[in-house]
Amino acid sequence: MLDSLHPTLTEAAITSVAFKLLLFPAYKSTDFEVHRNWLAITHSLPVKQWYYEKTSEWTLDYPPFFAAFEWVLSQVAQFFDPEMLKVENLNYASPQTVFFQRLSVITTELVLVYALHKLVASAPKGAQRSVAHAIALSLLLSPGLLIIDHIHFQYNGFMYGILLLSLLLARSPSTRLGSGLLFATLLCFKHIYLYLAPAYFVFLLRAYCLGPSFDLRHFNPDIRFVNCLKLGTGILGIFGAALGPFAYWGQLPQLAARLFPFSRGLCHAYWAPNVWAIYSFVDRVLIYVAPRLGLAVDTSALNSVTRGLVGDTAFAVLPEITPRMTFALTLLFQILPLVKLFAKPTFDSFIGAVTLCGYASFLFGWHVHEKAILLVIFPFSLLALKDRRYFSAFRPLAVAGHVSLFPLLFTAPEFPIKTIYTVVWLVVFLTTFDKLVPMSPSGRRFLLDRPSTLFIVVSIPLIAYTSLVHGVVFGDRYEFLPLMFTSSYSAVGVVGSWVGFCWLYFMA
Amino acid sequence: MPTTPRHKKTKRVTRSISFSLPTLPFPLASFVHPLRSSASQWLIVPALLTVAFLFRWAVGLGPYSGMGAPPMHGDFEAQRHWIELTTHLPIKEWYWHDLEWWGLDYPPLTAYHSWLLGLIGNYINKTWFQLYDSRGMDDDQLKTFMRFTAILSEYLTYIPAIVIFARVYGKQAGLSAYDRAIALGAILLQPGLILVDHGHFQYNSVMLGFAFLALDCFITDHILWGSFFFVLSLCFKQMALYYAPVVFAYLLGLCVFPRLDIRRLFCLGLVVVGTFSIMLAPLVLFGGVEQIGQCLFRVFPFARGLWEDKVANFWCATNVVIKYKKVFTPETLQRASLAMTLVGILPTCIILFLNPQKRLLPLGLSTCAWSFFLFSFQVHEKSILLPLLPATLLLAGSLSGDTISWVTWMNNVAMFSMWPLLRRDGLALQYAVMMLFYAWLMGTFHNLPQDLPSKAVHLLSYAAILGLHLAEIVVGKLERYPDLWVVGNVVVCFGCYLLAWAWLQKRMWTESLRGKSKAE
Repeated sequence: MLDSLHPTLTEAAITSVAFKLLLFPAYKSTDFEVHRNWLAITHSLPVKQWYYEKTSEWTLDYPPFFAAFEWVLSQVAQFFDPEMLKVENLNYASPQTVFFQRLSVITTELVLVYALHKLVASAPKGAQRSVAHAIALSLLLSPGLLIIDHIHFQYNGFMYGILLLSLLLARSPSTRLGSGLLFATLLCFKHIYLYLAPAYFVFLLRAYCLGPSFDLRHFNPDIRFVNCLKLGTGILGIFGAALGPFAYWGQLPQLAARLFPFSRGLCHAYWAPNVWAIYSFVDRVLIYVAPRLGLAVDTSALNSVTRGLVGDTAFAVLPEITPRMTFALTLLFQILPLVKLFAKPTFDSFIGAVTLCGYASFLFGWHVHEKAILLVIFPFSLLALKDRRYFSAFRPLAVAGHVSLFPLLFTAPEFPIKTIYTVVWLVVFLTTFDKLVPMSPSGRRFLLDRPSTLFIVVSIPLIAYTSLVHGVVFGDRYEFLPLMFTSSYSAVGVVGSWVGFCWLYFMA
Repeated sequence: MPTTPRHKKTKRVTRSISFSLPTLPFPLASFVHPLRSSASQWLIVPALLTVAFLFRWAVGLGPYSGMGAPPMHGDFEAQRHWIELTTHLPIKEWYWHDLEWWGLDYPPLTAYHSWLLGLIGNYINKTWFQLYDSRGMDDDQLKTFMRFTAILSEYLTYIPAIVIFARVYGKQAGLSAYDRAIALGAILLQPGLILVDHGHFQYNSVMLGFAFLALDCFITDHILWGSFFFVLSLCFKQMALYYAPVVFAYLLGLCVFPRLDIRRLFCLGLVVVGTFSIMLAPLVLFGGVEQIGQCLFRVFPFARGLWEDKVANFWCATNVVIKYKKVFTPETLQRASLAMTLVGILPTCIILFLNPQKRLLPLGLSTCAWSFFLFSFQVHEKSILLPLLPATLLLAGSLSGDTISWVTWMNNVAMFSMWPLLRRDGLALQYAVMMLFYAWLMGTFHNLPQDLPSKAVHLLSYAAILGLHLAEIVVGKLERYPDLWVVGNVVVCFGCYLLAWAWLQKRMWTESLRGKSKAE
């Protein structure tokens, strides 16, 4: 019985809703105003003008389905406070507006709850279902979503719900079409999921469009034409519904310009914990070391040391990074797992490939946002308890990924919430997982066991330093230091877990 | 999996975390459930404490009493003002300074507590506590600091007290570790105290914390330490006097039965007098003897009326029928209320005096405080916490369906009785969330009492609460009867409180008899 797993998903969901309701008065970032503005744009303007309106600096830069989603919300919003639906009411945040917008995040997150329910229900009874249940609870109560959606303000919950549903549908051959179509729909909600698209493409190609006896070397192109047709028309239909009207009005270039602003810098306002964060960190260190080694230091870049917080990073010693290079690296590290996926298109290697695609784009991408770490954590969670080795690779990611989100919230009242919630989540779920995870088949310890434990231990002084010690010792000075430590530390964790996961993926 | 028994790893195979078990009676139990096995039990108390912290802090994100409400603001301003007053003025002026602006009217330990918090606060930001200049300050940083002090004070007093209590009392009552953890969770998440201390803003938890530390000492037979802590509680907030008769009766009972123990009586007296002296010493040393008189005068305002705000006690509720303030003189009313209170507390005190069993203490504290709440004068709606919390502590001794249903019911009703206050503070959201969440967590509607009359009482009162809330939303304020919904609240809650009080009295009686028959 599904009901006999305690606490049930429903119970956990009710508790988390109660807690999230109490967070209504909490700090909210400019994303709150972004979404309010989109409510106003979609409600008060004809569709033709959605992607041209620019009264607010927060122009609509999500794909059309998300705009339509905002339009649906705005139909309800008018009963709460019609003032929030006026484009010229910039930074409008009446209590009703806050109430409505926050509540809409909680309500739409029910999609995620449903997806998690499916995750548990689809697991075989017994030990595996307990494991699925633990994973579902961990995702439902994820500190990532709490920080990003319910305090910072965004709508990731329901979109990750769609992603999970789509991933689950890929398990059985009979529902693979649904999986593909659902993912296409998701892309029309938020284009960040394009990062995961290569894995979907290869998997659906190999496991849905091609037959099991497909073999290039022996010229046996076992193509399933019916499946190709179904998937092709389905995807075309979905993209047609999303983009068709805009194509008809000749607005596609405008949409592309809004959706893909390539003019931004390599690192975001604050460094997402990826390879470039380590690169920047090394560069900063080299500024002090370089003169002794006889290396040239670009003095114009030195100013950005003190800025640290905002704007682009310029490198003083190391070579500049161009978008082209990041693109090439991302592609390279996406293609490697995809080759393996093509050769062995099982469900587990599909999830692994999705995870690795997420990793590659997060670690090497251009202008990566720290929030994108959920692209890795969510698919990885499905594999985290496969056996002890996977869990060893997952632990540093869970710690680093969530700790790296801390700088998103910098106001004092939210400080205890983000830290204590995350710490208690990590302790409870990592211990629970530790008890539930099956032994690895080889029986021996995995190479990541000790480093990952050490890594987790280091997080304690790090959190203490960034949150308390730094403020007491330096006050407002050297504000970039805690940020730099956080992102460098987290970067080590994310890279480490990536290396471990790659090892497992290619050795499996 | 083939494993050899000598391998240490074989232990790992037995899972010590299990989510599966037959349906549990209420959600709170379900949350504790996966951690109940011995290997993960160490996690339960820290996890409960952090969850309790998160809910407190999240409630604290909301507004506080008197936020942005000049000219007088509210309890938050009072507490802030006492901090600046104690850190900027010499002790001899504490009880005299500008009495019109939230003059200090709590006993000295509150003043010392404010002073201590002021030392920390002034270190962080001096502008928060400037005499005169900081009055009525509504600053986000200041709010965060004050919220932090409330939670810190609670985690140093009240929280350890109830952690110890749930453990010791639960063991004495023969509860399993799993049940003790559930009881602790139920007490930690009790919504009334959270909303008053971390929403409305006060430091009740310190007073309650000392009182419950005293209770901890009593149930572990450290009666001298117990009386020390109880005096601290009295010295923090005079409201602890609601408990005093019971504590007195219990201690006296211990000195008289089974045989007269003069030495013990003498030691107790010494501890009580000594603690009071230490508490008052700074006042006298730095301000002179006349400070004591002024302190007492400020702490016990006999000149005030029968009640201030509408409160669900006997006087306010029956005032609907008899207009006391018009018919009787204030002196008559004071005497009448004193007499009724004495009659109310007498049964409890007699039982505990004749049969001083530590097991009965939570019941005794609750019934005694409830008598004060129902019949004495100058009662505030927040005072319901005094009878309510010891009643909630009963869960630590028994998780029977009957106890859970009645205690939860009392908590639900008490939350409702504070609705007018919390609405004024702008805490409607926090009120609704915490009340419904706790009611759900304790399985209010799953765990109705077995017998029909009790069941009817519970269902009817829930219906009344729901009805009054709906009416207030749908109908709104009536021109002719602007207080209608508040009066309805008072009458319903008074009825419920009377029943709760009766239930506790009856339980006190049966429990004391049960103990006696066992002893024989």
